[in-house]
Amino acid sequence: MKIALFIPCLVNQMTPHVGIATVELLEKLGHEVILPKGQTCCGQPMTNSGCYEDAKKTTLKLLNAFKGVECDYIVCPAASCLVAAKENFHEFDCSPEATAVIGKLKELTEFLHDIHGLERFNKPFNHKISLQMSCHGIRMLDLATPSETKGQSYNKVEALLSHIEGIEICYPERRDECCGFGGTFVMDEGAVSGKMGKDKAQAHADTGARYVVGFDPSCLMHLDGVIRRQKHDVQTLHIAEVINMAL
Amino acid sequence: MALIGEIESHASAAEKFNKDEARVNWHDKALWALRHKRDLAAESVGGDEWERLKQLGSEIKLHTLSNLANYLQEFEANCQKNGIVVHWAKDGKEHNEIIHGLLAKHQVKKLVKSKSMLTEECHLNPYLEERGIEVIDTDLGERIIQLRQEPPSHIVVPAIHLKKEEVGELFHEKIGSEKGASCPTYLTKQARYHLREHFLTADAGLTGVNMAVASEGAVVVCTNEGNADMGANLPGLQIHSMGIDKIVPNLDAVGVLSRTLARNATGQPSTTYNTIYKGPKAGGEMHVVMVDNGRTKLFQDELLAEAYKCIRCGGCLNTCPVYRRSSGFSYNALIPGPIGIAVSAGDDETHSMAWACTLCGSCTKVCPTKVPLDQIIHHWRKVHAKEGKLPYGKRRYMPLVGRLMGSEMMLNGSMSVARGAMRILPDAVMKPFGGAWTEHRELPKAPKTGSFESWFRKNREEK
Repeated sequence: MKIALFIPCLVNQMTPHVGIATVELLEKLGHEVILPKGQTCCGQPMTNSGCYEDAKKTTLKLLNAFKGVECDYIVCPAASCLVAAKENFHEFDCSPEATAVIGKLKELTEFLHDIHGLERFNKPFNHKISLQMSCHGIRMLDLATPSETKGQSYNKVEALLSHIEGIEICYPERRDECCGFGGTFVMDEGAVSGKMGKDKAQAHADTGARYVVGFDPSCLMHLDGVIRRQKHDVQTLHIAEVINMAL
Repeated sequence: MALIGEIESHASAAEKFNKDEARVNWHDKALWALRHKRDLAAESVGGDEWERLKQLGSEIKLHTLSNLANYLQEFEANCQKNGIVVHWAKDGKEHNEIIHGLLAKHQVKKLVKSKSMLTEECHLNPYLEERGIEVIDTDLGERIIQLRQEPPSHIVVPAIHLKKEEVGELFHEKIGSEKGASCPTYLTKQARYHLREHFLTADAGLTGVNMAVASEGAVVVCTNEGNADMGANLPGLQIHSMGIDKIVPNLDAVGVLSRTLARNATGQPSTTYNTIYKGPKAGGEMHVVMVDNGRTKLFQDELLAEAYKCIRCGGCLNTCPVYRRSSGFSYNALIPGPIGIAVSAGDDETHSMAWACTLCGSCTKVCPTKVPLDQIIHHWRKVHAKEGKLPYGKRRYMPLVGRLMGSEMMLNGSMSVARGAMRILPDAVMKPFGGAWTEHRELPKAPKTGSFESWFRKNREEK
């Protein structure tokens, strides 16, 4: 398939290795990868603060980068940005072209699980990992049943990773409690955000896992900062990096 | 940042609460225990059945709110058939006047009250006390905070911010229990003796209402301590105060909502006492006061109206990671936590309440009537932003962020400088620029390569 990448600003500027792993793994799986020009940000920092007017230019710039691009899917290795892009595109542009773009948007895990149906890996990953089940991916993108919801459950993240030989998957206590990032919440509510991050990092460290693995680079960047401050013996890895290593 | 218009912002109050980390941990664990019990209770019903009950609960409440005028009139007519006197109050002031009128007519000197967030909302206690009527709150938690002259910090467990030792101290001082006592059983017994006196000497009883049943002309009251029933049954005059959102069509609806209410609140299959009052006792009088007090104003907005699907279980407070780590008082509103933001952010003069949330969505998913709390909170941010009333300096910096993010040249340029600085300069120099970030975390490690875009250009497009 022909995949257009949606690389959010955070990945582009601060965690390019997540983008690189995404390109490499998609190519290993036989897909053609392109990077449409003119992407900056989905507008989430502004819209989450309620500032829709301040977000409009940024959001439409991103949307225009994808309009008319020939591809099967637009894949993004960041769940929260993907959710925001879907919502914000719709907020500012209801044209058929915008709807077509929204229809092609897929988060990386979602794409690999639902569309590609990835089950075969070539290399083992002999480590214990603690999964970071970030809020927007779980509760807005339905990557897994949230802990609040009862009855029949599913978990696309675990389903995908469990095919890798040697991997041991575990979860922190209170598995999908928010890590306290929340975008500008880090600055607005410094004390509570800091405490939430500290508690989450501790819960991950308590599992004894070697890596904290997640699908949201923003939560991982936040946790990485807390983990290093608290000197926990665990490291963060994006799911794209794990999958790329196992292919 | 500390004070916004003389009132403390949520962040500032939360920061103070977080000075004592051990207490934050204790508060967080006490409330998470309720969330955990809720999960077990929900699973015990059968997971799929639980989700069906949530869906049904949501539909029942939405249907009722959509036909509110009809159900309120049906309720009134059926109450009257049952000999219940129904009063309509457009706001808290009218509510208080009606209650005072009834009490004055019956020459009531002492009123025993059981849990009612509505009477807190209307500030009934001070209103009556100023007019010479003694008001005794009779739920254990409510009595504790009444003795401390504090508002509730939670809608279901109002004294959850207090430790048993603090309650022991209070009871020693106010009701003469032994000094230094902290055994919950002992303290509860002391409260019981103390309250029993008041039940026996009260001239009237007032309770809140969990559900008002239109088809029956009856009100449902759920408690764990039986105090509402003592208060309603012992004195001749019984009064029930309810928000107009408490109406449900019939007993089938009560059946559905009762199955989730206590389970989602405390993890109990049911509250200990569930009473349906449908008429005055022999020789007595029964009154129901229905209050609007701003509810119909929120009903005008399709999304905000959904906040009134709420059945006040408090489940969203228990699951909220911010509430648990900032406590109820930091919200500067009668109802704290997600549902508090949903119903009162419009009146929040600090304009900070709607930002006391990471938009994690746990509240929305835990809710037994599917109130879209995170969407409502987000909506309030929009409303405040439109009015130009933003907290924490956002009004100044958000337009700048918008311009920066909207320009590749500016974003790439500034981030390239930032990455360079983070690579070269020592942490000690960089940390002051990190603000709140570096108070609790290390700065991100700057990538050794440039941006992803430049990597892609070099390694894919130019190859």
